[in-house]
Amino acid sequence: MIYYGRSVRTHRNQFVWMAVVVCLALLSACTPGRTANNGPTREITDDAGRRVSLPTKVDRVVSLAPNLTEIVFAVGAGNRLVGRTSYCDYPPEAKAIAEVGDTIHPNIEPIIALKPQVVFVSTASQLEAFTQQLQGQNIAVFVTDPHDLEGVFRSIEQIGEIVGEKDRANQLVQKLRERTNAVQQAVKLKPLVKVFYQTSGEPLYTVGRDSFVTDLIRRAGGASVTADVPGAWPKYSNESALAARPDAIILPTGGSMGAANANVVEALRQSPAVLNGRVYKINDDHLARPGPRLVDGLEEMARVLHPDAFGK
Amino acid sequence: MLEGRNITVAYDHRIAVTDVTLSLKQGEITAIIGPNGAGKSTLLRTLNGQLPRSSGSVLLDGEPIERLNRRSISRRIAVVAQEAELRFPVTVLEFVLGGRFAWATHSGWGWETERDLDVAESVIRETELGSLSARLMSELSGGERQRALMARALATEAPILLLDEPTANLDLSHQATLLSLVRARCDQHRAAALVVTHDINLASEFADNILLMKQGRTVNNGRPQEVLTPEILRDVFEIRILVDAHPVTGGPRITPVHEPICD
Amino acid sequence: MNRVTLRKTIVACAVLAAALLLAIVLMSLLGSEPLPVRASLCALASFGTSTCGLTQDQFAILFQIRLPRILLAAAVGGSLATAGAGYQALLRNPLAEPYLLGISNGAAVGTMIALVFFGTIEWTRPILAFGGALVATLAVYRLARGRAGATPERLILAGVIVTTFLSSVIVFVTVLMDATKIRSFTFWLLGDLSGTSKALLPLTIVITVAGALALTLHARSLNLLMLGERDAFDLGVEVGRVRILVFLVASLLVGSSVAASGSVGYVGLVVPHLARLSLGSDNRISIPAAALGGALFVIVADTVARTIIAPRELPVGAITALIGAPLFIYLLKRA
Repeated sequence: MIYYGRSVRTHRNQFVWMAVVVCLALLSACTPGRTANNGPTREITDDAGRRVSLPTKVDRVVSLAPNLTEIVFAVGAGNRLVGRTSYCDYPPEAKAIAEVGDTIHPNIEPIIALKPQVVFVSTASQLEAFTQQLQGQNIAVFVTDPHDLEGVFRSIEQIGEIVGEKDRANQLVQKLRERTNAVQQAVKLKPLVKVFYQTSGEPLYTVGRDSFVTDLIRRAGGASVTADVPGAWPKYSNESALAARPDAIILPTGGSMGAANANVVEALRQSPAVLNGRVYKINDDHLARPGPRLVDGLEEMARVLHPDAFGK
Repeated sequence: MLEGRNITVAYDHRIAVTDVTLSLKQGEITAIIGPNGAGKSTLLRTLNGQLPRSSGSVLLDGEPIERLNRRSISRRIAVVAQEAELRFPVTVLEFVLGGRFAWATHSGWGWETERDLDVAESVIRETELGSLSARLMSELSGGERQRALMARALATEAPILLLDEPTANLDLSHQATLLSLVRARCDQHRAAALVVTHDINLASEFADNILLMKQGRTVNNGRPQEVLTPEILRDVFEIRILVDAHPVTGGPRITPVHEPICD
Repeated sequence: MNRVTLRKTIVACAVLAAALLLAIVLMSLLGSEPLPVRASLCALASFGTSTCGLTQDQFAILFQIRLPRILLAAAVGGSLATAGAGYQALLRNPLAEPYLLGISNGAAVGTMIALVFFGTIEWTRPILAFGGALVATLAVYRLARGRAGATPERLILAGVIVTTFLSSVIVFVTVLMDATKIRSFTFWLLGDLSGTSKALLPLTIVITVAGALALTLHARSLNLLMLGERDAFDLGVEVGRVRILVFLVASLLVGSSVAASGSVGYVGLVVPHLARLSLGSDNRISIPAAALGGALFVIVADTVARTIIAPRELPVGAITALIGAPLFIYLLKRA
């Protein structure tokens, strides 16, 4: 089952994710503090709750998700990236880097052949299969799994620290925070706009409680009508979408998605959002990749939800 | 009634039947006997139109069989096979009613008429399955199932019966019963029957005419007394055979002698 | 069990049809959004001409989202059950089923090709799905045919071969395709009735009814075919012609339902089985009963799929499998 650029969590529910985390916790209990490499090491806890042992000096890393590739480049460690997935297309320099498969089925042999010290992973579910193998090759696996914008900032800081670009990472996060605060200030007093975020249509998917996009919508001055739905990328009932009567609809499209998802689903065609022309297409790469460009997405969303808050 | 002239059948790169001619006459039972691979069943299947011929002709009531449609053939020729595939549960009555298909007014749909039911019930009685008509076919013994196959063939009311090793799974008493049924049909209803069988004595007792085949060819064709001689049988079966007169019927009684022939 | 008569058939079908109608009405009252019962019933009774006090949204939910979806569920269920009954008669095996035999996969490949090359032209999907189903049916038939006909073992083996081969083809195509285009595939492959297309619904319904009718009108021939091709031939069935008909009709039924809703499994296995168990193997009653029963089954399964974790949804194929697989095991044990 191929998913573009996004974690498999898209179509798994939370229960499965929890079960995997439990398994991983047990796994890491069985292999306590195993050195990922020779030489001095330190330990960092990743988003899956694993204590990962990493060398203090890292100069070869592999990224298994587009957002992680973006983060690595953004903190100035692009020259230390030796492997990426076929979906990692930003920044343009990333395309020169060797491919090791795609996010869902990364190819373990090229990963090992590249002799990285750390592999950055964006989903917990593929982990079990190759964590053991990679550990056997003295390769550390670091999992990121942010559920909100703060989580994304933390990912950037952690990755920065791992690749030895702590200062640059902190500076980057600082700037991103400033921009975020600016947005939130601007929309602070505006009435919340009822937003429906259409992850994809026919069948209808949206964002739920556990997705960082829900946090983004909140900060952009919107109230996601699906904010309480369990899960991160739930498949949603057409009826409920219709009954929610959103005032604005966000269509992530045009980036990696290409021309897909450019239309509102049938069930919402009579919604206030459509009738008032408040359907907004935003580059999906700015909204689906938990990396620095997420703040671009935040700004774009805020601008369309509250155009009057941003001057001319 | 049913005539095959100079029939040659080839398939799977071998010639199964070569230049065989036979003709079924009303009121007569013809038996086809011969060793394995003689082409007996192939010949039977060619006569009902199922297997294609390489050459020769098959005439049903004077008409070439290719010109007739399936249902009109089935109204005139009924086949009794060795066994039935019973993968789905079906009662004896339903099974026997299958024989009435050829008489349905619409092919494929339609319901059984009163006449259909009468015929079915009467053949069920004739084959002594009366008490079993509501039972599932799968619950019947081998012999009872064979009788049901016979009943279904009789239900078609076809004047020509082709039987392919009908007594293969039957015990002695049922073998006789089955062939007596065929005999009765031929005598009373002027039917014609063709029986492929391994049992030469049964053939001798019931058949008016015997076609002896070997390796696809006719070895001999005639009354049992003419065909069932020790010399002819030894050539065909490559085994020594004693022929004497059956103490009750007077017809030829075949007894094989189990010693290899030294040439 | 006594033999099947016209009266029995009419009674059985009338009962099932009434149950189906009831199900359509009742299930349209259920969903992730609560609707007022009395007003909804009133609106349904008026065939949508009067809103009976429902708000505009409620009316839209009832008549534009729920009812079309329920009708699609009925059509899909009816198609798959009828196709299953047809394959079981044709292959002389009670275990023959479009999903298990990989025929649904064949239809899925056809649909995927239609989506890749003809994206927006919706009617290409059922056509290519039909083609895919046909190819898969032929493959299974050829593979399963031994001297003794399609024994259960050969059939299952043939089905496994075709299913796994076509699954690989599906994965292959998805890898080659632009990943974003087939995001929805994963759900759809498990059977998804939420994308009820206005254009395809009438076509799907027409095909279901026509297909069920076509097979029922040959039920007597199928009865004989079911007990052996050679015997059927002897008794007057035009075996070649009936075989082709069943191939075509069953593939069309599977193709149209897969094109509309993905692979919904087990319907073609469980429903005809239950129909035969309760009404007998005679196809004159069991095919129409399977068609109506299949519609009922999928309507109910889909209602569960769209209400049990509301407002989220499960794929209907998951529910039919949850019910169907244990039922299948139980039926296997009985056999």
